[in-house]
Amino acid sequence: MEFLKENWIFAEVDLNKVNPITYQLITKMNQISELPVTVVLVEGSSESLEEDIKEYGPDKIITIKNDQLVQGNDLEMTNALDTLIEKTGRPNSFVFAATVVGRSLAPRLQARLRTGLTADCLDLHFEDDGTLVQTKPSYGDNIMCEIVVPNHRPQMATVRSNVFEAKKLNNPMTKVINITNLKVVQDKQLTISSKPLPQESAESITEANRIVAIGRGDKTEENLTNAKRLADKLHAVIGVTRPLTDLEEFDINDQIGQSGQSVSPDILINLGISGAVQYTAGISNAKTIVSANTDKDAPIFKHSDYYYVGNAEEFSKALEKALQ
Amino acid sequence: MKIVVGIKQVPETTNVKINEKTKNIDRRGISGVINQYDRHALEAAFEIKAKTNAEVIVMTMGPDDFVVSLQEALALGADSAVLLSDRAFAGADTLATGYVLSEAIKKIGDVDLVLLGQQSVDADTGQMGPIISEFLDISQVTYASKLDVEEGGLRIKRYLENIEQDITAKLPVLVTVTDQANDPKYVNIVEIAKSFEKEVTTWHASDLNLDADRVGQAGSPSVVRSISSPKEVVKDNYKLPDNPQDAADELVKILKDKNILVEDK
Amino acid sequence: MDQKTISQDILLRMVKAFVKNEVAPYDMEIDHTRSYVNNLWSKVKENDFLSLMLPEEYGGAGFNGRTSAKVINEIAKGNASLAVTLEGHFKSVDQIVKYGNDELKNEYLPQAKNRIIAFSMTEPSGGSNPMGINSHAEKRGDKWIINGDKIMITNGGLAEIYCVLVKTAPDELSFFVVDNEMEGFEYGKQENFLGLTGVPVGEIVMNNIEVDESHLLGKVGMGKEIGDSAHDDARVLMGAVLTGIMEHELDLVTDYATHRKAIDTPIIQMQGIQRKIADIAISKETTKLLYQKAAWMKDHGQDYEEEAAMAKAYGSRSAVKAGDDSLQILGGYGYSLDYPIEHLIRDARAMEIAEGTVEKMRTAIALKEAESRA
Ligand SMILES: Cc1cc2nc3c(=O)[nH]c(=O)nc-3n(C[C@H](O)[C@H](O)[C@H](O)COP(=O)(O)OP(=O)(O)OC[C@H]3O[C@@H](n4cnc5c(N)ncnc54)[C@H](O)[C@@H]3O)c2cc1C
Ligand SMILES: Cc1cc2nc3c(=O)[nH]c(=O)nc-3n(C[C@H](O)[C@H](O)[C@H](O)COP(=O)(O)OP(=O)(O)OC[C@H]3O[C@@H](n4cnc5c(N)ncnc54)[C@H](O)[C@@H]3O)c2cc1C
Ligand SMILES: Cc1cc2nc3c(=O)[nH]c(=O)nc-3n(C[C@H](O)[C@H](O)[C@H](O)COP(=O)(O)OP(=O)(O)OC[C@H]3O[C@@H](n4cnc5c(N)ncnc54)[C@H](O)[C@@H]3O)c2cc1C
Repeated sequence: MEFLKENWIFAEVDLNKVNPITYQLITKMNQISELPVTVVLVEGSSESLEEDIKEYGPDKIITIKNDQLVQGNDLEMTNALDTLIEKTGRPNSFVFAATVVGRSLAPRLQARLRTGLTADCLDLHFEDDGTLVQTKPSYGDNIMCEIVVPNHRPQMATVRSNVFEAKKLNNPMTKVINITNLKVVQDKQLTISSKPLPQESAESITEANRIVAIGRGDKTEENLTNAKRLADKLHAVIGVTRPLTDLEEFDINDQIGQSGQSVSPDILINLGISGAVQYTAGISNAKTIVSANTDKDAPIFKHSDYYYVGNAEEFSKALEKALQ
Repeated sequence: MKIVVGIKQVPETTNVKINEKTKNIDRRGISGVINQYDRHALEAAFEIKAKTNAEVIVMTMGPDDFVVSLQEALALGADSAVLLSDRAFAGADTLATGYVLSEAIKKIGDVDLVLLGQQSVDADTGQMGPIISEFLDISQVTYASKLDVEEGGLRIKRYLENIEQDITAKLPVLVTVTDQANDPKYVNIVEIAKSFEKEVTTWHASDLNLDADRVGQAGSPSVVRSISSPKEVVKDNYKLPDNPQDAADELVKILKDKNILVEDK
Repeated sequence: MDQKTISQDILLRMVKAFVKNEVAPYDMEIDHTRSYVNNLWSKVKENDFLSLMLPEEYGGAGFNGRTSAKVINEIAKGNASLAVTLEGHFKSVDQIVKYGNDELKNEYLPQAKNRIIAFSMTEPSGGSNPMGINSHAEKRGDKWIINGDKIMITNGGLAEIYCVLVKTAPDELSFFVVDNEMEGFEYGKQENFLGLTGVPVGEIVMNNIEVDESHLLGKVGMGKEIGDSAHDDARVLMGAVLTGIMEHELDLVTDYATHRKAIDTPIIQMQGIQRKIADIAISKETTKLLYQKAAWMKDHGQDYEEEAAMAKAYGSRSAVKAGDDSLQILGGYGYSLDYPIEHLIRDARAMEIAEGTVEKMRTAIALKEAESRA
């Protein structure tokens, strides 16, 4: 079988924009790949997202402009990618975003090509012979597995968002290849209608993806008004430490911590919270934690990805402004 | 309507550790349960059954003790069960597993709807749905958050990161189900004994029309090279600048670069 | 795998999930509000927990003593009150199965699926000494007329059917089955107990309740035997409840001691703490082995009176002591009403009294030891 000495990335496009995971994958592949890095982009006929992708410096961009394909039918997309690969030969590897789209499309293509796929990878590296070593979590992130696909090509993987950093790279050599004549047979079984998901804030802190948490260091009437404005801006839900449940408007359902609720937001912003163990017991599943506190030795900082030493209200106002 | 629900038996807790001595996953004292998402797939099947009188066949590929999960599914309301068990199936990756499952579905014949969980909680791949759809050559809808039967097919809600999809699907189709889709019931204690009146059929490799090169370890392109414990996630503890606005601006930039904050649309 | 093993596995899976989702999260709330909050009771009924050990011929699930005890153990891990409520029902159902005539069984056992049956011996005049009771039944024609007052009944108020101990002659004890729809049946006062606060414990008053001969459990004069039989049943299940309480205590202290640091060392590294935790674990395992042995003996038709008494006598004191040690390990938090430890001590303490005091337990054990050597 004809193998193509390239490593491929599938560009994920949401709502006419390239999902940043694609840039993260390009930067990572540029770092680890000896072979040329190619991005496969499927976009609407009037779009030119390849221009955005170029800024991250892949060696090649294959652009398929097709208004049917962008509807997002996995079967149609599998057919298209399979046809493309039939023309070009099988690349050494082909990686996708571990998003709903990537995790639905990649395995179908895997089955079509009868090769191996590793889902939801947290790390990737190549060995000298081109073997892609894929590290994936299992058992809900309690175990890490290293998986390889020794004898089949492409070696396929989906990769989790935000594990690699995206860096712009000036690559004057980036080639753009337009594929226009790809035949797409419509899947008549499914009718898909899509609309943007309104950014709603969740009802309860246990389900919230974003939380602004306030503690005793940020509890005046004015502080609260500011924190709430910030929360609105972020589509976040307000959480509190236990002392604030003394206030009329908060109760145990708003309280984070051991005797309150455990939370698992993508981002948690702590304003004026010291970080008592009973509080931090409830935040261990928060993904990114930002904390503001006047005390440079506040225990909460040890639990934080980013911290600000200073007045929480000023920080909250500045943050609101930065989000304008 | 004929529905096949694929279920997998998984450890009751994913809180497993690697045994220092054996270098393998320590499963002492951990018993099996039906994969949580598969309970939602089963419940979806039962809801359809309640409306359309559909026949629900539950199926699993795995060692003989997976029969407990099949029996549990029967007690929950499935009509019959199929266990796919054979030494030859051992060591299968997703591709080889999907192949055997799809051949078994073909053998059952005239299946209108295949329902699976969105993913297993042990291997966490979520690949089975698309692979089986491909081998059956039917359309797929993954990560369904809501399913309703309607004339000639299904109506499904599905959520991508920033998009909501409303999908109508004609039969046959394969759907994988999220935990948003419904509230699975518990097994009724008295129904357990009654479920033994229903049948569990076991099929071995020889009962299916299989290409020997495509099953088990031999048919698996993926190889697990090693397993390890995750490294403790150490928080970055990055100190933001002292000036509040500088701090806020830098933070917002970082969060946007990392796609944690998506710019407002 | 045989049908029995598979059924038991399915049952225990179900119970674990039910406890995890519907029971354990409400443990403190049940204790504080003295009620089965969040519709727990209707969920228990809906899933047919009441039919667990009821024979299949009466519409039950027919699980044996050992499996039922394991279920009680799992439930108690989440909330001891609910486990005791079920224990009270199971041991009562068991006595009707064992001693009831066909008419009585056909009348009440199918109802046991939905209506709780309670077992009442204790009266204001005495619990440990059954001869001290005043309730009595008098034969008039082919009917019995029952009068009396029963107190401290597990599930009293919640239960609708009652096995009551009465005198049928000055020196003769017998059991009858009455229910709350009979004329002359009245609910009395609810106890205000220290622990197991989810369990309603109450009084019933019987004023000239008229029942057929078929409502006599066993024969006249069998009161003591039936009472002892119910106690044996109950004591095994209480061993299971106490095991569950200690498992709950172990979950709490191991988690706390692993995360709580003194200076920089987690306190689980300190020998004084280790000793306490190890002792809790030993007591838990010992109680578990005792109740499982007793249940096994029961299922195999052997006399298990002594083992049942041991499970309850040893388990109840151990669980109270384990609770006390757990409280100490958690320091100030252990002493807080916001943590569950204190109510686990209160819960366990009830079982040094209910179903026969530990003193009575020791009497039974000592006499059995002597008897086996005589
Ligand atoms: C049994 C028990 C259970 C408990 N359960 C919980 C629980 O579930 N959840 C919970 O939260 N707590 C719980 N607690 C209480 C917990 O121990 C702490 O008391 C509580 O978390 C402290 O809340 P805090 O951080 O808001 O207040 P504090 O500890 O008072 O901290 C206030 C912080 O604000 C900072 N600060 C002051 N002014 C400013 C300013 N202008 N700008 C920025 N920072 C400022 C200070 O430096 C300080 O670090 C429990 C306690 C017990 C005993
Ligand atoms: C730690 C670990 C890591 C692994 N990593 C990989 C990997 O990266 N790539 C790879 O190809 N294989 C991998 N495998 C092998 C893979 O788990 C097996 O092939 C497995 O049988 C099917 O995959 P899954 O559990 O991921 O199923 P998923 O695709 O996650 O399951 C989706 C649904 O499919 C159905 N289903 C799953 N398994 C069965 C079954 N046996 N019978 C009936 N229905 C079923 C259920 O409805 C389930 O909810 C891994 C296995 C382990 C234990
Ligand atoms: C939570 C709970 C639930 C209960 N549920 C029920 C129920 O469902 N049905 C029911 O009938 N009763 C029930 N009881 C009552 C219980 O059975 C009695 O409280 C118990 O039998 C003791 O009786 P008493 O309270 O009258 O104490 P007494 O019998 O007056 O005993 C007082 C003390 O004297 C000791 N003592 C008495 N006689 C002797 C002796 N011969 N040798 C050594 N010491 C002795 C006892 O051990 C005790 O320490 C329940 C009690 C509790 C706490």
